[in-house]
Amino acid sequence: MKKLKAKLQALKKVDYKKAARDFWYGKPHEERRLGDLYEDKTGLYKHREWRGVKDTLYYFNNIWLYNYAHMVTDVVKGGDPVAFLKGTLRYRWMGQTYLTVMHWYDRGMEGMRGEALRATAWHYRAMTSETIRQFTRMFAADSKLHGGKKNALWYKTLAHDETVSGCIFYPWRDVIDDVPLQMVPYFVSVHVNSDTVLHYIDAVQSIGLPADPCPMCQAEAGIFVLDDYPDYSPLMVTTNEACDGSVATSILQDWFMNKPLFAMPQPMRFDDPLVQEHCQREIEECWRFIEKHTGIPFDWNQYVKYAERYNQLTAFEREKWDVAANSPYYPISGVAQALYRIYYSQDGDRQIWHDTDKKVRRIMEKCVREKIETFPKTRHRAIAWSCAPLYYSHWCTWAYNCWGINCVINMDSLMFDQDLRTDTYEHAIEDLAWFNEKAPMRAMAVGGHDHIFQLWDYMERFHCDMVVMYDQLQCKGMQGIHGMFEDEFRKRNIHAIWVPHALPDKRTVSRGEIRRIISDYMTTVMHEEPLDPSLVDFDDSMSW
Amino acid sequence: MRDLKHLIKFENLLLEANNALVRQAREEGKLALGYTCYFMPEVLLDLPGCFSVRLRAPRSTSPDMATYYMSSRTCLYGRCLLERALEGGFNFLDAQLATETCTVTCRFQEHLQMMNIIQNPKFFCEFIDVPFKKTPNSYEHYRRQLQAHVLDKLHEHYGVDVSDDAIRAAIAQHNEVCRLVTAIGEYRKLDRPTITGFEFQLIQLVTLCCPKYLIIDDLRETLEELKTREPDDRPGYRCKVVMAGSENDDPYFTKLVEDCGALVVADRHCYGSLPGREEIEIREGETPLAAVARHYLDTGMCPRFMEQDVMRSRKQYLADLVREYKADGVILEQMKFCEYWSYERVIDTLVLPRDYGIPVCSIEKEYVNGSSGQLRTRFQAFVESIEIKKIQGGVRG
Amino acid sequence: MMKKILRLAGKLAAIAAAVYGVLFAVFYFDLDGKFLYHVWIPFVNRRYEKLERKDVTKTPYGMTVEKAE
Repeated sequence: MKKLKAKLQALKKVDYKKAARDFWYGKPHEERRLGDLYEDKTGLYKHREWRGVKDTLYYFNNIWLYNYAHMVTDVVKGGDPVAFLKGTLRYRWMGQTYLTVMHWYDRGMEGMRGEALRATAWHYRAMTSETIRQFTRMFAADSKLHGGKKNALWYKTLAHDETVSGCIFYPWRDVIDDVPLQMVPYFVSVHVNSDTVLHYIDAVQSIGLPADPCPMCQAEAGIFVLDDYPDYSPLMVTTNEACDGSVATSILQDWFMNKPLFAMPQPMRFDDPLVQEHCQREIEECWRFIEKHTGIPFDWNQYVKYAERYNQLTAFEREKWDVAANSPYYPISGVAQALYRIYYSQDGDRQIWHDTDKKVRRIMEKCVREKIETFPKTRHRAIAWSCAPLYYSHWCTWAYNCWGINCVINMDSLMFDQDLRTDTYEHAIEDLAWFNEKAPMRAMAVGGHDHIFQLWDYMERFHCDMVVMYDQLQCKGMQGIHGMFEDEFRKRNIHAIWVPHALPDKRTVSRGEIRRIISDYMTTVMHEEPLDPSLVDFDDSMSW
Repeated sequence: MRDLKHLIKFENLLLEANNALVRQAREEGKLALGYTCYFMPEVLLDLPGCFSVRLRAPRSTSPDMATYYMSSRTCLYGRCLLERALEGGFNFLDAQLATETCTVTCRFQEHLQMMNIIQNPKFFCEFIDVPFKKTPNSYEHYRRQLQAHVLDKLHEHYGVDVSDDAIRAAIAQHNEVCRLVTAIGEYRKLDRPTITGFEFQLIQLVTLCCPKYLIIDDLRETLEELKTREPDDRPGYRCKVVMAGSENDDPYFTKLVEDCGALVVADRHCYGSLPGREEIEIREGETPLAAVARHYLDTGMCPRFMEQDVMRSRKQYLADLVREYKADGVILEQMKFCEYWSYERVIDTLVLPRDYGIPVCSIEKEYVNGSSGQLRTRFQAFVESIEIKKIQGGVRG
Repeated sequence: MMKKILRLAGKLAAIAAAVYGVLFAVFYFDLDGKFLYHVWIPFVNRRYEKLERKDVTKTPYGMTVEKAE
């Protein structure tokens, strides 16, 4: 009875108008207390966020239901659902991540509303769709799932390092599919489920590799050590992008794959005009290798078709940068910007990118036209520099929700900034060489210190008042220039938050530690109060 | 064994980068040209009027300043070089001819560009791009890089004669040094070698770090001495090993290995002679520069090479060395934080015993290791395992 | 006839509404995440641990490699 009375008393104090407003529109940013939604340690939600009626229903119907449904239809479209099932039960990177992908959406889109929610979700959808396309193709051709037999698709699929750009294979795109070997098993899986890749890192260390090389390269090699790679192609194309580690990984991958391999390295000093011809010849040698081992000739018309289509994606990307740099109306979150850009530019032209860009263009134009501030609680416009923590790519979502740090652009988005001319073969190969030289990480991190110091120009261009300096602890290239950055930040009086991490390995620096570092900077240096105090400290140590 | 006359002199020269011979050559008006990597052909830095200095940082302790700039998570070799440069130890350099071949030495050399460390107003640091393969495309690319970023720059900055004749003269001097070092190295192939790994490494290092024209007479004399040097009645070693791996310019590391009973008979590592002391041949129709480019790519055994057959041939090369030098095993040493050798060491450690029956001791080391107890234990255990294997093989035989 | 169609349509609508409601509950209370985390992932992990894997370090390392037939 007492309890009932107390409850009735409490109900009398409720502001029903506000409650109704909050129900309809969602709570204002500062009242959301998103941290209270987490279950301790697991990162699961007690319940998903209520974003107001419109955005919650949008999320439920157009993101959650829509993507779950497409996860089925896309697999069916792949043509071999039995192989898909076998692949899920065979490969750790598949079984641990495929069904859990919606949680990856959740983490990346926490707190989002309106046009930002919509545009960001389309980017995620595109990446999911392309991922499904890739692994359904892998599994359909995979001899390990077909009793050791090499079927017709096996002969018509090309395997390559995830760091070899898909554009290399444009001359064969209509007849052979190129699928990056580690893109799904490594890169995508670590974002969706950060536990998966740890098995691969441990595996390669178990055969004697020291713990210090780049963990991305370790994981890529470890997939082979655990025999967790699909065998879907008669050959392999590798590259040196972007570092010593990626070159060295080829040593082990070559052994374990034990099939014809072509190494297509790019020059390190790529600004030097003298290296361009060398790079072009390397690409041509790669093409000859493909012709030799597939028996399918190079097709100039196919190259032109896909290069010109890809140029459309580059053109739109530049429009996006323009909006991001010069207005508060950019509807794409920091994590979507970073991941979508690296994915599509590395993968090369696919129809899904064009479909997505069409949708995002409509949203972005609406935001600009109607002056919709998509991240209205922005206190700081940040540029993220160097290689990002893959196991916490959505740190920028948290940073915006908690501190109003809006990560408007990041380093890896800014690579591959190259149009591909198709008027003559000479122009085409020249531009293709440049394109490959400006690949992720290498565009800034190699070829001279002036590349990595382009940060200052980009800060100005994107009107950023803060730098989030990713500090990949096992990247020798970035560690090797750490002190110069410290000196420059001091000299230029720049607010720079160093975020240490180990790329895909969350054990070295946890997500919680990253949050603590950012929060400490915001309180002790910036003297700011959090927008959402419930996000300052919480335990997600057992989360995906 | 009877002491070799010049070894103490060589050992003393190696205690400083700016040693007595370097100072003498500079006083004579020669240009000191620094480099770190095999892919920077030392022969081009030995053009008339110049001498090459492969950089070392002997007697390094704790590179605190360099660690600020390059963090504690990069290889000590690169950091110690930067520390030495910040201390003024490389102020004698007139130029640094750099390669972007391994990340950390690349960053070290970029610091030389960025920070105005070398107190020499005419000093410059110039990079070349080095190919990753041994193909005609690569040879041509490498040749162009050497022309534009080494020869043209030396001529532009210092008026160095970079003509074909000048290169031929440098090749001639280089080849003579190679002949001498190779001849000295032949004594390591004997059933009972008459030169230790430590002694050989001192000789090899002085040819890399001192003006060649000032040590060539000493090398000739050393070779003469070796012709009559007798091995000890009771050898001071219990087995013979090939030393393979990453950067190793520390003769006291080799001494540590030999103190544990393993005679180092071949040096297949950066700053070693295998490869490194093969004569450069100018073929019919080749310019001297083209010959240099082809030579350094063809002879290189760096794990940086990515072609499939080249990657695979490195294991065979090691196995061939073991046979040629009558070694009992291989010590695979890897500088901590060297990514190339991290991976290469994994595969060598697994494949050499499995496919070639060659025992392997696989270790990680720092830049300076002389007093490492842990390493000593590893080497001693390795020596004992080889002895046991020999005994068991003898019993079975 | 019309009544039957309408009754059928009504039943279908009710079923659809119920399914929609259930799905919304799954969505809102993160039941999919909880299922995956507590049931699916442990299940597949156990399976992967038990799978027999080839020892790749036994792969030959010759100068020639498998060529596509």
